Amino acid sequence: MEIVIALFFSTLRQAAPLLLTALGGLFSERSGVVNIALEGMILFGAAAAAITVNRIEVATGGLEAFWIPWVGLLVGALVGGLVGLVHAVASIKYRADQIVSGTAINIAALGAPSIVLQVLYNNTSTSQEVQNRLPNVDLGPSSVSILVIFAFLLVPVVWWVLFKTPWGLRLRAVGEHPEAAETMGVNVIRMRYTAVILSGVLAGIAGAYLSIGFLNQFIRAMSAGAGFIALAALIFGKWHPFGVLGATLLFGFAQALAIQLQGGDILPATIVQALPFILTMLVLAGFIGRSRPPAAVGKPYDK
Amino acid sequence: MGRFWFLLVGGLVLLVMLLSPWAVPLREFDGTGYLLNPLGAINPKGLSLPEGLAFNWLGVAFGFWVLLVLAAGGALFLPNAETRARVLYILGGLGLAIFAVEAILFYQAIHAANEAAVAAGARRPPLRRFALSLGVYAGFFYALGLLLLARMQLPGGLAFLVRFRGVVVPIVSLLLAVVLGAMVVAILRPGLGTQGVEGLGLRELIAGKLDLVTYTFQILFSPILNLTGIFTSLGFATPLIFTGLAVAFGFRAGMFNIGAPGQLTMGAIFAMLAGVYLPFPSWLLLPSAILAAALGGALWGGLVGWLKARFGANEVINTIMMNYIAASVLLFLIAANEYRFFGQTVRLPFKAEGFEGRSEEIQEGARIPLMIHILAPDSTFSWALPLAVLAGLGVYYGLRRLELGRRLLFALGALVLGFVVGGFLPGFPVTISSALASQLLNGSFLIAVMALLFYNFYLFRTSAGYELRATGLAPKAAEYAGVNLRQKMVLAMLISGALAGLAATHYVLGAGMDGTYRLKTAIPSSVGFDGIAVALMGQNTPLGIFLSATLFGVLLAGGVSLNAQLGISNQIIQVLQALIILFIAVGGLLPRYFTDPLRAAQVETEAKAEQEARQARSAPAAGD
Repeated sequence: MEIVIALFFSTLRQAAPLLLTALGGLFSERSGVVNIALEGMILFGAAAAAITVNRIEVATGGLEAFWIPWVGLLVGALVGGLVGLVHAVASIKYRADQIVSGTAINIAALGAPSIVLQVLYNNTSTSQEVQNRLPNVDLGPSSVSILVIFAFLLVPVVWWVLFKTPWGLRLRAVGEHPEAAETMGVNVIRMRYTAVILSGVLAGIAGAYLSIGFLNQFIRAMSAGAGFIALAALIFGKWHPFGVLGATLLFGFAQALAIQLQGGDILPATIVQALPFILTMLVLAGFIGRSRPPAAVGKPYDK
Repeated sequence: MGRFWFLLVGGLVLLVMLLSPWAVPLREFDGTGYLLNPLGAINPKGLSLPEGLAFNWLGVAFGFWVLLVLAAGGALFLPNAETRARVLYILGGLGLAIFAVEAILFYQAIHAANEAAVAAGARRPPLRRFALSLGVYAGFFYALGLLLLARMQLPGGLAFLVRFRGVVVPIVSLLLAVVLGAMVVAILRPGLGTQGVEGLGLRELIAGKLDLVTYTFQILFSPILNLTGIFTSLGFATPLIFTGLAVAFGFRAGMFNIGAPGQLTMGAIFAMLAGVYLPFPSWLLLPSAILAAALGGALWGGLVGWLKARFGANEVINTIMMNYIAASVLLFLIAANEYRFFGQTVRLPFKAEGFEGRSEEIQEGARIPLMIHILAPDSTFSWALPLAVLAGLGVYYGLRRLELGRRLLFALGALVLGFVVGGFLPGFPVTISSALASQLLNGSFLIAVMALLFYNFYLFRTSAGYELRATGLAPKAAEYAGVNLRQKMVLAMLISGALAGLAATHYVLGAGMDGTYRLKTAIPSSVGFDGIAVALMGQNTPLGIFLSATLFGVLLAGGVSLNAQLGISNQIIQVLQALIILFIAVGGLLPRYFTDPLRAAQVETEAKAEQEARQARSAPAAGD
């Protein structure tokens, strides 16, 4: 029983960053822009959050105050949004191949934090540990970061925004048939910009969760594929918030299971670590259900 | 583009000249330098030059540049296009001449001072680190810009640029990436020689930053200046050629292969298994180990191609997932010996003794020799390789009349013959410095060159390659013409994966990683991602891939000294690569007729029509 509870909470913790990122990706892809840069946006957000909190601590001489991690979270979200803006400008204004542009951001996310870390901490792989982490919420047997709660509460909100508001309808129209939406007076370009930046903000929050919520420092490439798995969850979840919720819970469970199995004598850790990725491939091959992407996804819009 | 933009650029160039160091005659190891500038030297740390070394010509040179910029600005307002072009050509030539004179004056002064000091009894020349700097470079690039602008004034100028868009876009992207990378460095690091000095003026601070930026890129590009550096660079470039080819092959067939890291890892594992365990005689062992590397990569890539062909699964995410899985397999095989499966202990034989995660040593027979040993075995220059290359190329280009298959066959024969004859020719002894002897450039580079030739031949000289390219350009049209798309998807990913897998020959069979003939867990599989930058920068052409791989090889080799001298992480190269990819993706921020083939064709036809109309008008006049 104890192990079931531990597994349950571990699943929540592992699923939360996937969920945040996937919900962000949902906006982007529903508007017609492929966002393979989610992985990089998580990393930029994580680095920005951890470095901000650490710098505030250094400047204030190790102050511990409730507002410090929130500032870190804000900066992480902003930096994520900025990276989203870069992707948006490249793929909307300059009609770049969206996958190439996203790949560039992912590669930059491996190198750029290291240069900053080298200047600040004289090493290229980790930041200093922070004292001020985002608060945890007590849930009886265990506690989870407040962002985990936020991630799960966000699901119905996103569903409501996408399917019950005029803005959501326009967003979906832009991703399915931009010409038709334009004829009806929707500003396709602005909708896409908003959606991609929003996806960056959510991925940045997911990154902040990793660096100052789940852990207490930034580690190079700490997202370990979360952005890509979130993309797979998006496909598996049929581009629908509740589907995405189910998919990320499944992937989160696989990761939690991998952690539980590590050090045990059932399967070697190196094999277990590959399980979520194998699961993702099985999902993509359609062994577990088929799904149809938004019709205009990946196509630059030309007036 | 308006004339006023051009005037602005001219003003900016003069401003840069006023603020930046023109040349640095003396520099310490930590980068602190004595900065020459027309307004007087900038020397916050108080370094002293040798007696009698003076650079009085700087002020005069600056005066020339001011005149040149003014003249060029005026020339743009000339009414007749042809006069405009002629004047700009002359001014551009003048600019290049001024640049050359500056360079000669500077280097002559340095050498004279060094020789004088040595003659006076100094043990070593006092000036060892010296170079021209940003102020002089600015003039050089401005002069080049004038020449280009002159060409643009003539009819068909724009079409001229558009026709060479395959070169223009990567170069513009490279320049933009360099400028942005320079800004990152300038923001993050203090200016050279200004740290810890009190009471500096704005001029010193700005010059220090500009010097930092210039010196950073000078170090990054410095490996091209000597043979050792070139060997290092080509050593870094070898795996990049393979992975660049892999990504480019995918692009040509319309597949985005981000899985080169995983395919490389798989190739490395297969090469290790073959190289360590196959009980073959040595003449068979090396080829089978190389083939094993290709096979490992091909399997890993082909699986993704099959998943796409059979189930429509997106290759982008699948190749990424395969990267992570390959990394896990690598760790599983060589990071530990003992594993527990459902309570049972399983022992694996692959990991060698010791703390580090590494395989057993590759057998002697499966090792690829170092390039220096191929070129000059036992310190004697051998004619085998140069003669083989010459004979092969000579026959290939000499027998143009022949049908392609025979031509290739003859060329191959000539290659072998050249190698054998060259091997018997008496070589001459050469001295190999210890620095050169320790370079890890190995025979895998030759395999990379062969892979380039294969890429060129297969894609552009065979009908199978033609079908593959057609699939990439217009899948529906290709299918209508009878191409089996699904089969092509699998084939493209198989070959792409094999090319990526061959990169392992450099690391495992050629000991290109650290000089040991083993597979290690630390194998730098991320060069697979670098391949994306190589392919985009090289515009998926064989020559382009070779040049861009070499460029990145140079930068990577320079990054090592950058880290040692200025403490800037060599991750800056990764950022530069990312920026280059991003800028190429947005077409170098250039107008759309540079990226859109249809619009490019439109520009070119319009220019052609204009030219014909012009000729038609001038022809009757000539007939009178």
